[in-house]
Amino acid sequence: MSDLIRIYGKSLTTIFLGLTALWIVALIVVPQLRMIERAFVVDRYSDEAARVGVEINRSYTRVFTIDQELDRAAAGPTAPTAPSPFSPSPSSAKPSTPSAFATPSASSGGAVSTDPDRTATLKAEKAELQARIAELEVREKEVKAGGTGYALGNFTSMSAIHAKIFLSTLMYALCVTILAFLACYPVAYAVATSRSSERVALLMLGLVIPYAINELLRIFSWIMILEKHGVLNRLLDSLGLIDLAAGEGMRFVASNGAVFAVMVYAYILFMVFPIYNTIETLDRNQIEAARDLGASTWRIHWRVVLPHAKPGIAVGAVMTFMLSAGSIAAPEIVGRGLHPDWFSQVIYQRFFESNNWNQGSAYALVLLVACVVFVLGVMGLFKVGIRDIAK
Amino acid sequence: MTAETATPAAAVPAARPSSGRDWSDAILNVYLAVFFAYLFLPLLLMVAAAFNASPTPSATDWQGFTLEWFRQLPRDQRFVQGLGHSLLIATGVIVLAIPLGLSGALILTRLRSRSTTTLYTILVSPILTPGIVLGVTTMIFWRDTFGVEAGLFTATVAQATFIASYCMLMFMARLQRQDRVLEEAALDLGASPVLVFRRITLPFLMPTILTAAFISFLQSIENYNTTFFAIGSSWTLVTEIGSRMRFGLSPMVNAIGVLFVVLTVIAALIWAAARRRELARLAAG
Repeated sequence: MSDLIRIYGKSLTTIFLGLTALWIVALIVVPQLRMIERAFVVDRYSDEAARVGVEINRSYTRVFTIDQELDRAAAGPTAPTAPSPFSPSPSSAKPSTPSAFATPSASSGGAVSTDPDRTATLKAEKAELQARIAELEVREKEVKAGGTGYALGNFTSMSAIHAKIFLSTLMYALCVTILAFLACYPVAYAVATSRSSERVALLMLGLVIPYAINELLRIFSWIMILEKHGVLNRLLDSLGLIDLAAGEGMRFVASNGAVFAVMVYAYILFMVFPIYNTIETLDRNQIEAARDLGASTWRIHWRVVLPHAKPGIAVGAVMTFMLSAGSIAAPEIVGRGLHPDWFSQVIYQRFFESNNWNQGSAYALVLLVACVVFVLGVMGLFKVGIRDIAK
Repeated sequence: MTAETATPAAAVPAARPSSGRDWSDAILNVYLAVFFAYLFLPLLLMVAAAFNASPTPSATDWQGFTLEWFRQLPRDQRFVQGLGHSLLIATGVIVLAIPLGLSGALILTRLRSRSTTTLYTILVSPILTPGIVLGVTTMIFWRDTFGVEAGLFTATVAQATFIASYCMLMFMARLQRQDRVLEEAALDLGASPVLVFRRITLPFLMPTILTAAFISFLQSIENYNTTFFAIGSSWTLVTEIGSRMRFGLSPMVNAIGVLFVVLTVIAALIWAAARRRELARLAAG
């Protein structure tokens, strides 16, 4: 700390420390902790709370219609608006606006029911409902107050389907990573060891342009290929493998294979640049020396180039895996939103469709842990430190 | 020993492996051609579909050349407003991420302590976190703690969380190349630390601050995954493009794509020119 104060002085050091502390606390650590906390908070009675809530609403609606009926009865027999023949089914009590009830009853007028028996039953029913409402409201408070607690329910209640989606998402992400490495290593090697600087400049430009084009557009460009009347089906058609005119076009979109293929395309270049950066620092004399000593091409790569490129491969693997495992764009766009077979989509549904933020947090935490485990695994496998991974 | 063995070893590469190397070079070149075709063909199809009169984006079902989809763009209110939101968020991200990243870098490069690795790990962790998790945590934190609903503000904060990490790495790379002698000399001659920072450190960092601001701006505009979760019911240009891609496909999306491609190519050419100048400077110096 004293070295900071000596160089920057007290006031500047305070500002720098304050800003960094703000970043850590308000943007990184506490939000993560809030998510973790929510992941372990279980609404044990959330179903019951919802049920009670619905019943309270229904009872209020019923009381309202009874009041209306009583008002009309009190207005006297001259009033042409007779009460509607109410149905005992609670579903009919849904529309609670006065007009919705007043209008149809006017048309069914004729049956004059001002008899005191009817009024008495209605009053009795109303009293009964009000007692019930009071009871339910007490219950609702109880449920809401004592209904949450720390538990593992959000994780253990993960259905078999969700668990399967989670595992297959990780498998796909792993496959994307491996494929990206196999495809990119020769490219990175070719660019890094190219002798002519003009060739390097051209190749780099060819890599930077698709890399810099927005992720969504890279994904979307494949729709033109995979859709029913797209390039791929036309190609199969012209080869005579399928007959498009007869409606034989294959629906490639909204399949896991399509999402996977598009993901490889969308994230492949995150592997090229880190590997290129490390191979570029390799002294080319080492390759020459190995070749002069009679090493085969395979052996040169296995013993000279690959070991040197390890940190780059680690960075590329971490970025590609993380982007694939956490991608919401590819499955949403290729799957047209119909195809929730990616874990990111399941998380989205938990938050915004089921409105179950606690379980959504639990799922997001599971994804985060999987990515942390992957990063640690890569660091262990390639024997690199965090400073090599993120730089 | 050296004289006898060196002669055959030097003679061999001239004769035999050169043909083998030609072969492997040829294979590599073919592979490069295939790889670049793979990279560019889908994008070209997307660009082509933007000029196709067909009402659904298609590169195969050609119904004539049109610029109609470009004409419709400025009339689409959601795109225009989305662009406004994107620019607003990007400005906020720059304002947040540059000071945060700079502070982190200044502390990490000057603090001599064993805890710097821990600090470093925490500060770069947002880069290694899936974007959707950042969006989710920001949304939860601001709603649970301050009652702030997801919207443009939370999207800005969520993006700044990881963009600040990128800025920090850029500043650290620059600071590691700094010659500390100037600062030390100024301090020894009695300059106040504030003066030293303002007159020596900050001017030294200026080019990186501008680069970092530019990169932050691009990262913010382009971001989808984090923003998608943190933006609530509002939208940016890119999230709007995303929802158009999912529902109701229109070649207007391709038209926007063409604009993005054109801007990207221009930026890449500028980048390539700058890189060439930098390499030439390094070679000369």
